[in-house]
Amino acid sequence: MNKVININFQGRILPIEEQAYEMLKQYIESLRVYFANEEGRDEIINDIECRIAELCEERLKKGTVCIAASDIDLIITSIGRPADFEAQDGFEASTSQTHQNTSGNNNSNFYRDGNRPKRLYRDEQNKVLGGVCSGIANYFVIEPWIVRILWFFLIGLNILIYLILWIAVPSTSIKEVGGVRKRLFRDIDKKVIGGVAAGLSKYFGIQVWIVRILFLIPFIRFVVNFRHMHLFQFWDAPDFPNFLDITFSPGAVFVYIVLWLVLPEAKTSADKLEMVGEKVDLNSIKNTIQNDMEGFSKRAQSWGSNLYNRNKGTNNSNEANESNHEGTATTHNQDANKSSENQRSTEKRKGFLYFIGRIITVCIKGFVYFILAIVGISLLAALFGIGAAATALLPLKNFLIEDGAQTWSAIGAILLFIWVPIIGIVTAVIRKIAGLKKANVWVRSSFIALWILGWVCIFYFGSSLGNSFSRHNLPAEQSIALTNPKIDYVEITAAPKMKYYENNWFQFEPFQGFADEDTVYVRNLRIRIVQSLNDSFQVKIVKLSNGKTVQNANDLANKINFELTQQDSLLYLDRGIGINKTDKFRNQHIIMTIAVPIGKRIKITNKGWSQTNVNINGRGMRTGTIDRISSDESWYDEWNEPWDNESYQFERGVEYKMTKTGLEEIQRDFKTMEDSDGSNSDDKQDDISDKEIQLQKLKEEREAIKNDIKKLKEEELQKEKIKTEKVSISRKDNVGNSNLDNINKIGKAAGKLSDLQWVLDRFTH
Amino acid sequence: MDIQNTQSQMRKGVLEFCILSIIQQGEVYPSDIVEKMKLANLHILEGTLYPLLTRLKNAGLLNYRWVESISGPPRKYFVMTEEGKAAFGILLQTWKEMATAVDLLTQEKINTAENSNQAVS
Repeated sequence: MNKVININFQGRILPIEEQAYEMLKQYIESLRVYFANEEGRDEIINDIECRIAELCEERLKKGTVCIAASDIDLIITSIGRPADFEAQDGFEASTSQTHQNTSGNNNSNFYRDGNRPKRLYRDEQNKVLGGVCSGIANYFVIEPWIVRILWFFLIGLNILIYLILWIAVPSTSIKEVGGVRKRLFRDIDKKVIGGVAAGLSKYFGIQVWIVRILFLIPFIRFVVNFRHMHLFQFWDAPDFPNFLDITFSPGAVFVYIVLWLVLPEAKTSADKLEMVGEKVDLNSIKNTIQNDMEGFSKRAQSWGSNLYNRNKGTNNSNEANESNHEGTATTHNQDANKSSENQRSTEKRKGFLYFIGRIITVCIKGFVYFILAIVGISLLAALFGIGAAATALLPLKNFLIEDGAQTWSAIGAILLFIWVPIIGIVTAVIRKIAGLKKANVWVRSSFIALWILGWVCIFYFGSSLGNSFSRHNLPAEQSIALTNPKIDYVEITAAPKMKYYENNWFQFEPFQGFADEDTVYVRNLRIRIVQSLNDSFQVKIVKLSNGKTVQNANDLANKINFELTQQDSLLYLDRGIGINKTDKFRNQHIIMTIAVPIGKRIKITNKGWSQTNVNINGRGMRTGTIDRISSDESWYDEWNEPWDNESYQFERGVEYKMTKTGLEEIQRDFKTMEDSDGSNSDDKQDDISDKEIQLQKLKEEREAIKNDIKKLKEEELQKEKIKTEKVSISRKDNVGNSNLDNINKIGKAAGKLSDLQWVLDRFTH
Repeated sequence: MDIQNTQSQMRKGVLEFCILSIIQQGEVYPSDIVEKMKLANLHILEGTLYPLLTRLKNAGLLNYRWVESISGPPRKYFVMTEEGKAAFGILLQTWKEMATAVDLLTQEKINTAENSNQAVS
């Protein structure tokens, strides 16, 4: 019992069984795919449809009530299937053969006919990934899951073997009628660069973007591993997992280029079918869409080939003219032959040149795309880095930006100017990779509009922030009285023990860290060393600040609190300038001038402040002129100019002696240098600076130091002993644990001891 | 050597020539071409014939005419254009030369062979 429908087919009303109708539809669809690249595709199909309709009508005239599936089958056989056209090179498909094929059409499971010799096939029907396991299972007539488990345990995740089998073992689909063997092609319809990724994805029957991502991974790695790009230092991302190295990383570009050169383009529709390994008779809507796309590219191609033919035509006529000119009695025929011969040889040459040209273009293209990819991803990453940095700075914004319009414009600039294009580009790239259509006009234009708004924000923010910094205060030099200015030696160092925690994961100069919620420390200090007029040390300080108005700048400068204390030969400076949220950071900075009398020594340690935040200017060092502390107040600009001393670099941790001509290096103090270099964490640094003070004392009395060391040692030892004893006593009941604890404690104590020993050793040296 | 491939190459070469020679005799309906060729023991699928005809038509060698039929819509009949006739003339000459050449060569071989192989033909 079959349902019969009436169709209007090429101007004829045909009653046809539903099943037959489906067959007919599929057949015409397959023709459409097969003739996709033909110039007169629609015409050809129309003609064939006409013929089918005619044949159907004939059948109806003979007395059949309706067109059945068998009728359609016969008609199709007489006209021929695309597979037959292909197989017989477009000619003489013997009817008997096609009959065989069609008879096999209905039983799709080829395992049923036992006549065939046993062969290993991949089972497309029961596949999980590529059908390798189920294929093996079929071969040995066992359940597929057994093979899968065995595979998993025996070979583990050795994907490589699976991949090889996947490619090497033919699929069952080739046994099905009209089916085609799978072959690797480049899919030019869906190409981004050369269509390699698209072709591979077709071959393996997976999504295109997966292949593309796999090809892109090395690029992403490359960019992320760009350690010399400082932007990435904030991101402590570990390297990509190693398994990617094994599979795809090495020379993805190379692989791509090789595949590009080796793989043929899927030009004809038969190629396209082979690429997917799809059965010719079974065509889905997908193909229709594909064909529509082909129609467009085909028009462009035919235009191109027309152009080419026209050129060729003029060449031929030239040659023909020449041969006529020779005056030999050549017949029309010979002439034609000759010209065709010439043509062939030129084509041959062209072919060779074309091949070389293709290799070159592909290589260049590959290289260019490689560079473009890296540049593009780098740019994106840079933008991303700026965005992340700016976002990370938000906690500091209260110390920099005024409330109201400035804050809003800053947030607007970060969001709209930086993040909007990042999101836009990333989504566009993902869409491109995934082969989706471009986002619609509204989305795109709103993105652009937001970005323009971002530009407005950034301009407003820049100008208003610039305005806030536009004026500077009237600087006034103030002398700082030293308790003992007549000493021989001064060592300038950072004040110990300033409790603040450092913003470890991100540092923005000159912001030092938060003291508490309302205060941030800025290390904006310049030290200038000049020659003293008399025989005592002198220190003068100038507080400088920018502001919206001069008044504002003066206020801010006066608010700067900078302490300086002398302890014997040590001069302690504050580690930074505290800035609170109401006053904001307006480039407050301090210039400290220290005048050194002739014949006396000075040293600046680099403890407690980082290299960049404190500028030291050994003015007058080894230069002819010697600056003297002046009371002149018109030097603001001169002093504010960049202090990159091109003639001499003052080194920290080195003792200098003031002579008549300038500073002279005396000795390098490696200890302090090591101290400042070796220790990163501030706690440690503080500890060490504490001990440094002790050390300094000890330096003056060497023997006392040694005693002290011994004392310290003993004290520590005793402490640890007492501790461990206490522990062991308190945990008598649990002997095992306490023993372990003891061991731990002793270990720790030993560590501390050795640390101490190390410090002490350095003292004594 | 792939005999089948050579065979199909040989057939393919003369296919267009055969079709043109049928059409040259007068206006013809595609299925009649198939029939005529079948009579001459040359099998061609309609599925391959239509594209060939379209190609020839687009090349300007053929033209077609709608002919009213008693049953159903009009049918497409193919005729040869002047250009097609000229092309056919060239092809015919080429074919004749080829045929004589092939005859001559194969005959020679058979003559020189002078063996029992002769019976094969």
